[in-house]
Amino acid sequence: MSAQERNFRILRGGGPSGLGAEFQSYSLELNEHATVLDALEWIRVEQAPDLMYRHSCHHGSCGTCGMMVNGKPKLACLTKVNDLAAGDIKLEPLLGMEHLGDLAVSPVPLMSAYPADSAYIRESEVNKDAERPAEVDRFERFENCIECGLCMAACPVEDEFQGPAVLAALNRELAKTPERRAEILHAAGRPDGVYRCERALECSRVCPTAVYPAKHIMELRKELEKESGAE
Amino acid sequence: MKKYHVVVIGGGGTGAAIAYDLIKRGLHATVLDRGELTSGTTGRHHGQLHCGARYAVGDREIARECMEETNTLRKIASESLESNYGLFVALNDEDEDFAPTFIEACLESGIPAEKVPRKKALLMEPKLSHKIGTVVQVPDGTIDAWRLPLQFFAGAQKGGAVIRPFCPVTGIDIEDGRAVAVRIRDLVQQKDERIEADLIVNATGAWAPQITKFAGIDIPITPAPGTMVAVRKRLCNMVISHLHPSGDGDIIVPQRGLSIIGTTQYKTDDPDDIKVPREDVDFLYRCADEMVPEFSKQPFHAAWIAARPLAGKSESIEDGRGLSRDFVCVNHAQHDNVHGFMSVIGGKATVLRAMAEKTVDAVCQDLGVQEPCTTTETPLPSHREYYRKGAK
Ligand SMILES: Cc1cc2nc3c(=O)[nH]c(=O)nc-3n(C[C@H](O)[C@H](O)[C@H](O)COP(=O)(O)OP(=O)(O)OC[C@H]3O[C@@H](n4cnc5c(N)ncnc54)[C@H](O)[C@@H]3O)c2cc1C
Ligand code: SF4
Ligand code: FES
Repeated sequence: MSAQERNFRILRGGGPSGLGAEFQSYSLELNEHATVLDALEWIRVEQAPDLMYRHSCHHGSCGTCGMMVNGKPKLACLTKVNDLAAGDIKLEPLLGMEHLGDLAVSPVPLMSAYPADSAYIRESEVNKDAERPAEVDRFERFENCIECGLCMAACPVEDEFQGPAVLAALNRELAKTPERRAEILHAAGRPDGVYRCERALECSRVCPTAVYPAKHIMELRKELEKESGAE
Repeated sequence: MKKYHVVVIGGGGTGAAIAYDLIKRGLHATVLDRGELTSGTTGRHHGQLHCGARYAVGDREIARECMEETNTLRKIASESLESNYGLFVALNDEDEDFAPTFIEACLESGIPAEKVPRKKALLMEPKLSHKIGTVVQVPDGTIDAWRLPLQFFAGAQKGGAVIRPFCPVTGIDIEDGRAVAVRIRDLVQQKDERIEADLIVNATGAWAPQITKFAGIDIPITPAPGTMVAVRKRLCNMVISHLHPSGDGDIIVPQRGLSIIGTTQYKTDDPDDIKVPREDVDFLYRCADEMVPEFSKQPFHAAWIAARPLAGKSESIEDGRGLSRDFVCVNHAQHDNVHGFMSVIGGKATVLRAMAEKTVDAVCQDLGVQEPCTTTETPLPSHREYYRKGAK
C-alpha cells in the first residue's frame, strides 16, 4: 500500500518551564504499518528535534509511551496510525501524571502509590506442569502490568484514589503472599482504596496487557467482605 | 579526599551501571540523556539474558564474562529477570556436526551446558518443532530491558547521582587539552546550561561519534540495526536458540505474554534514521517457525528495530557479523590527546555491570582514586524506587 499523508496536532510546551502550552501541527507521510510512536520518532528527526515524549521498548513492554491519542489513553508504540479515524490526530500528555512538557510526563504519582515491596515476578502460567531444568524451581515471568498508567488516566473517579493499577498489584500480592493478607487488605480497604471504585470498568477497557484491574478490585472487595463477615 | 564529579553522557544500560558504580566508589555522578532514559538501543534490545553460550565458540573470554554476569544479575537484580534457562536446538545435519564443538566451548567457558534427551526437551517445551535433533540446555534467561537499567538508576540516585533525562548534550568545552565541561539544552526547563566535570564519560552507544565530534574527535562507529518481531502468545518459558554458529533470526525470547524472534543486521549511517524493513518480518517468521512451528500463526504484536554500534567505518566493513561485539573503553587522552574524556561503546545489556566496572576502574585510575568496585554485592533497589516521591 502507498504512503499516506497524516497531520498530527501535538501539545507543545507546558510543564515546569513555565512555557504556555499550545498545539502545533506536523504533517508527514506514513506507511500502513506505522505506529503513533514511529510517527513521533520521524517528526522528531525531521521536523522538531526538541520534541519531548517518553519511549523505550517500542513493543508494549516498558509502559513509558502512554499518552492521550484523540482524547483516549493509549500506548503510542502499539497504536497504528491507520487504525485511527481519518482527519487530524491529536496528541496530549497522559492524564494523572506530572507533566514535564510536550508529551512527556513523570510517572511519580503512579510509582509512589505502589506497595513498596510488591514483587514484579510471578509463576508462568504456560506449561506449568512441564519438566524443568533441575536448577529451576518453577518457570517464572514478569507480571502482566507494565505500569503504564493508562488505567489511571481512564478512571473517572475524582476523589483521592489509589487507582486501578495499584489495587490490581495489591490483589496479585495477596495471591502470591497470602501470609501478608492482613496488611494487604488493610491497604485495599483504606478510604482511598477499593470502595472508591465506581465500576466504570474503563481501566479494564484501556489496559494494553489484559490485567483487568476492575476484576482485581472486585476480588479485593469480596475478600474484605469475608473479613468483616468473620468479625 | 576531593569528591570528583563525573558526567556520564547517555542514559542507556551502560550509563546507568556506570553511574551506580561511580557513586558506590564515592564519586559524584551526573547522567544526561537527550530523551527518556533507555530511549536509545537499550530499551529496544531482544531481552535475552546471555549466559554466553552463543559466544563461546567464537570467544571463550566473552562467554565466561556473560556467565559470570548472568550469575551476578540473578543475585542483585532478580526482579528484572525471568530466570528460566534456555535450549539450543539442532535443526539439520550441519548443526549436528557443530554440536560437540559448541558443548565443549561452553564447558571451557564455565557454562554448564548439558545435552538433554529430545524427549525430555519436548516435555519441557511442548511447542518445539518435532524435527529437532540434539538439544543443549544452558542457563539463559529473559531481561526486562527497561526495568534492569532502572534498578541501576534507582541505586545510583539513592547514592546521590543526579539523573537528567531530556537534556541533550550540545557541546563539550576543551581547555588546554582537557575536557572540562559539557553544554546541554535542558528541555524540561527550556534553558541552556554548562556543567563542569572532572571527567566526562561518553556512553552514547551508536550515537558516540556525535559526542566525540564536539571534542574534535572522529571515532569510527557504524550503526548496525537489527529487527525483532513479537507475537501475542507466550509459546515457551525457556529461550530457544538455533544450535549453529550465530546468524540471523535464530533466537526466540519469551517475555510476559509474548514470544519474540530476532534478529537481523544491516548497516546504516544515522542511528536515528532506522525503519523496519518489511522483508525482515517475513524472514523472521520463517526462522521462528523452524524452531517453534506455531510462531507465525499467533496474532502479530509488534515489529521494531534497534541499532548496535559496530567498531569500524562503514566502507571498511564487508559484513557486520565479522566484527567483534565486545565492548571498548577508549581513553581519549591516549588516542586523541584530549584528557578527561572517555568513550565506552559496544557490549551487551547482559554485561552492563561488568562494562561499568572496567570503565570506572579506568576513571579511578585517571583521577587517582583508589576504591575497589563493590557492585556485585548488594541487591539493587526496585525499579519503582527511581520514581518514588521524594527519591530525587
Ligand atoms: C537488535 C539488537 C538486539 C540486542 N539484543 C540483546 C540481547 O538480547 N541481550 C543483550 O544482552 N544485549 C542485546 N543487545 C545489545 C544491547 O542492546 C546493548 O549492548 C546495550 O543496550 C547498549 O547500551 P548503551 O547504554 O551502551 O547504549 P544506548 O542504550 O544506545 O544508550 C545511549 C544513550 O545515549 C543517548 N544520547 C544520544 N545522543 C545524546 C546526546 N547528544 N546527549 C545526551 N544523550 C544522548 C541516547 O538517547 C541513548 O539513550 C542487542 C542490541 C541490538 C541492536
Ligand atoms: S493495569 Fe494495565 S493499564 Fe493499568 S498500569 Fe498496569 S498495564 Fe497499564
Ligand atoms: S515504548 Fe514501551 S510500552 Fe510503548
